[in-house]
Amino acid sequence: MARIGVFICHCGENISATVDCTKVCETTAKLKHVAYATEYKYMCSDPGQSLIKEAIKKYNLTGVVVSACSPRMHEPTFRKACAEAGLNPFLCEMANLREHCSWVHEKSESTTQKAIDIVRILVEKVKHNAALQPIRVPVTKTALVIGGGIAGIQAALDIANCGHKVIMVERSPSIGGHMSQLSETFPTLDCSQCILTPRMVEVLQHPNITLYSYAEVEGLDGFIGNFVVKIRKKAKSLDEKVCTGCGLCITKCPVKKIPNEFEQGMGFRHAIYVPFPQAVPNKPVIDREHCTYYIKGKCKVCEIVCPTKAIRFDQPDEVIEAKVGAIVVATGFDIKHADFFPEYGYGKYKDVIDGLQFERLASASGPTSGEILRPSDGQKPKNIVFIACAGSRDPAKGIAYCSKICCMYTAKHAMLYKHKVHEGNAYVFYMDIRSAGKNYEEFVHRAIEEDHVNYIRGRVSTVYERDGKLIVKGVDTLLGAQPVEIVADMVVLATAGIANNGAEQLAQRLHISYDSHKFFAEAHPKLKPVETNTAGIFLAGACQNPKDIPDSVSQASGAAVKVAVLFSQNELTREPLVAVVNRMGPPMYSTCVGCFMCQPVCPYQAIEREEYKTRDGKVIKTVAKINEGLCQGCGTCVALCRSKSIDLYGYTNEQVYTEVVALLNDY
Amino acid sequence: MSNVATKAKELLESKAVQVVIGYENGTNGVVRPAFITTPAKAAQLIYDERCVQNLAVYLTKHEVKHFGKMGIVATLPVMRSIMMLISEQQVFPDNIVVLGIADDGNILDFADMKIMQAHIGKSNLENPSKDQEKLAELNKMSLEERFKFWEQELSKCIKCYACRQSCPMCYCTRCFTECNQPQWLPVQSNTHGNMEWHILRAMHLAGRCISCGECGRACPVNIPCHLLTMQLADQTFNYFNVHAGISEDMKSVMSTFEPNDKESFII
Amino acid sequence: MSDFEPKVVAFVCNWCTYAGADLTGTSRIKYASNVKIIRFPCTGRIDFMLLLKSFANGADGIIISGCHPNDCHYTSGNFHAKRRWIMFKELMDFMGIDMKRITFSWVSAAEGARWAEVVNTTVARVRELGPYVSYKQMVNTHIEEEVTNE
Repeated sequence: MARIGVFICHCGENISATVDCTKVCETTAKLKHVAYATEYKYMCSDPGQSLIKEAIKKYNLTGVVVSACSPRMHEPTFRKACAEAGLNPFLCEMANLREHCSWVHEKSESTTQKAIDIVRILVEKVKHNAALQPIRVPVTKTALVIGGGIAGIQAALDIANCGHKVIMVERSPSIGGHMSQLSETFPTLDCSQCILTPRMVEVLQHPNITLYSYAEVEGLDGFIGNFVVKIRKKAKSLDEKVCTGCGLCITKCPVKKIPNEFEQGMGFRHAIYVPFPQAVPNKPVIDREHCTYYIKGKCKVCEIVCPTKAIRFDQPDEVIEAKVGAIVVATGFDIKHADFFPEYGYGKYKDVIDGLQFERLASASGPTSGEILRPSDGQKPKNIVFIACAGSRDPAKGIAYCSKICCMYTAKHAMLYKHKVHEGNAYVFYMDIRSAGKNYEEFVHRAIEEDHVNYIRGRVSTVYERDGKLIVKGVDTLLGAQPVEIVADMVVLATAGIANNGAEQLAQRLHISYDSHKFFAEAHPKLKPVETNTAGIFLAGACQNPKDIPDSVSQASGAAVKVAVLFSQNELTREPLVAVVNRMGPPMYSTCVGCFMCQPVCPYQAIEREEYKTRDGKVIKTVAKINEGLCQGCGTCVALCRSKSIDLYGYTNEQVYTEVVALLNDY
Repeated sequence: MSNVATKAKELLESKAVQVVIGYENGTNGVVRPAFITTPAKAAQLIYDERCVQNLAVYLTKHEVKHFGKMGIVATLPVMRSIMMLISEQQVFPDNIVVLGIADDGNILDFADMKIMQAHIGKSNLENPSKDQEKLAELNKMSLEERFKFWEQELSKCIKCYACRQSCPMCYCTRCFTECNQPQWLPVQSNTHGNMEWHILRAMHLAGRCISCGECGRACPVNIPCHLLTMQLADQTFNYFNVHAGISEDMKSVMSTFEPNDKESFII
Repeated sequence: MSDFEPKVVAFVCNWCTYAGADLTGTSRIKYASNVKIIRFPCTGRIDFMLLLKSFANGADGIIISGCHPNDCHYTSGNFHAKRRWIMFKELMDFMGIDMKRITFSWVSAAEGARWAEVVNTTVARVRELGPYVSYKQMVNTHIEEEVTNE
């Protein structure tokens, strides 16, 4: 038989000023199964809590209703107190007499009556509460970092420096990401490679980090603390253990005219290649699409010249499985291809380039060794036009959002140009200058004031060629929308940052959500910006939305801390307020009929299939099963289930049904 | 021998199926469902305009399933039921052969579900016109009149659950009505409990009703309960532009959403 | 009829509307005391049967409230709830059950004043509609029938 204790708090006078607490106490004491009811000035104080603890022992209570403030305030306090007195904390409920009653109604009979009703509802509910045990799941203290750009590198190093193992998976042959392509970085103009490459090397040499470059995540199973990841290591056609990275094979490779991805197509590479000189790992891979051997079946020059005999033409892809406890997704971004804007002539005119191409031109290690030269004729451009928001903030044609980084890198580009071509003129067409960030506004001002970059507020309608020059037609809206025409030698488009190619497929493989632009979605825009909706998977960098380097690095460290918090315990303890599909003996096994309509409803992919089989392996019944490691307890599946086979601990059907009946019936 | 009978005989002879679910003549000029397991008996199968019962209801019945692979005579509502049952993982395409009936009464050869899907896609998926007229009539009434109408109709309900038993989509092994912790629905028949049952049934069929009208036909006291599910079938299309039972991998309307689902009553 | 005090049940989600109602309290904004709140983790958890049970047990009005679209603590519970309520409302309308007695709303944790407004307008509307006589009569008939049968 239930023995419920009711503890009514005055909250100083916060409750008792409008609610007749004594009457509430007297009335509720008479409710069926209420063994004890009392009132006190401050129930949350030490003496108040002791009152509860003593009553639990003295009256051997099976349930407690603390009638005080909002459970969102003190539920943990009172549940802890109950636990200390030996009562399962989940047998304690709170009746919200303050926020939902005394503070919102005038002093009156009806306010006191409402208080009584609220207590009664919770008394009836708590009778149906179950003693729940926290869910414990083991934690594999290895993290997976997907993506080896600056965000992935930072996250991996931070986690590894906490003493945890890290597996890093990078799709391309080298880590470094977009940052390794950049010339200088805003707002300090320090050389990107100079600050990045030491970190790349650190990743390679770190005893806690295992790096799989030229590899992709192919599948993921499991849940927080207990993921199993499938990684496809694409065949590099070379034995990395044997290769010394001398590079002789590269110099001798006869296929030389492959557009170099790292140089954004502005230079060439061989069929066997390392993407750039500082690549990590600095060992080549064979591009099987272009290699003569794979196309025609003969050549093998690299194999012949290799001093250590490291080439393996018949090497297959290798798929490995690894157990990881947490995942940081740092797959970065891509840029919207500028041919999206035919009116700007990208692809048609060689001297119309995008921002990343400009980075390569400006880079000391780039195709022009850092000289700004026109791709068409190798001449120094005397007039250069930068077009900001090429695709961004353009819901009609491009994308609606602001790509955030373009204002700053455009200012940087204009500056770099002016530093390298002193006599040249730089023009920037812009919509607004968005330079929020430490020393960012000052940086833009430097470009305008010290380097005399001409900023023109207005959009460009068209770019076309006339007599070997690019005619840029736009307007200056600050001069009353006056048409502007600039005869330029070169045009740089600050194209929008977009989700990386393959983002959607990766999100589906990882079971994380993504927004309409295919950027990965955070669990909460304000309070959980690093988490995803799948517990144990975190985000870092521009895979979430376009970000600059400081933001990516900060977020990566944030994600690393989230992983470290998770790894700080051997077991994960979770509140047991999760959904459960009922089970019973054969032949029913469960009242679930296995329609699996609940599966798409679950935001956490927590609903799995469980098969009941005969001894010879024949499936008798397939029913739903909820992975309590993944379930967050929203209960949407519970309300959807037609046969009422799912229930939610803490908010069971019995509990909520009883509450409704108790609310409306005065007994 | 009818076309259906010939085809059924072929299937049974070639052991492509172990049972054919179809219609045969009963007594007093009515037709009844038939479960034919031998080629010799295939000749009993008929198909004419009296054959309206939704036979898909038998596909999930243990007593029929145990025969093995099933052939089924399928009019459009049966085909749509099959699609729903496949999408809800109650029937497996490998386990059935569909003897589709075209509008002209000829047998349609569905080599696989994709062909059947294409056939369904070309068909009229609206509620039957006589039911649609009745719906329009009810929708024209005032709220009070409609309440009176249903109160009156549902007061007749004897809670025999024939509506549930005849419906191919009501395949749960334990129905909500049998839950007693808590006892959501009163066991006995009374108007308000009956109304709760019919609301519940309609809600559970929201987005899943394929407008066969079998529940209404099965009702021994002639409650037009099929209008409830058909109204929601209609609204499912109005709001979400989806008809139930059009493909084998469709996600149910009630377990999916679009962020921009339109409504005008949530403030 | 003038002294009719409607009984109104509010089904709210823990993360937005319950917290919003807490804020109403913290801000000391007054509203009608006819409403009593039942806490759910999410609007997605709210079973439509509970609404029917509320009317059956004598409620005159109901409020359902949760997080605004895109703000759901569980990302999509409120979107699923929305579809469910669309269907439910259409069915109720078709059966002649007065949906003016049910308020569906989104009230965020920051909208304390709005919660008071939602409650007050609902109570005022239900007060105007009067007790839900037709539903209550239907429920009571069978109770009387049972009594006479016994």
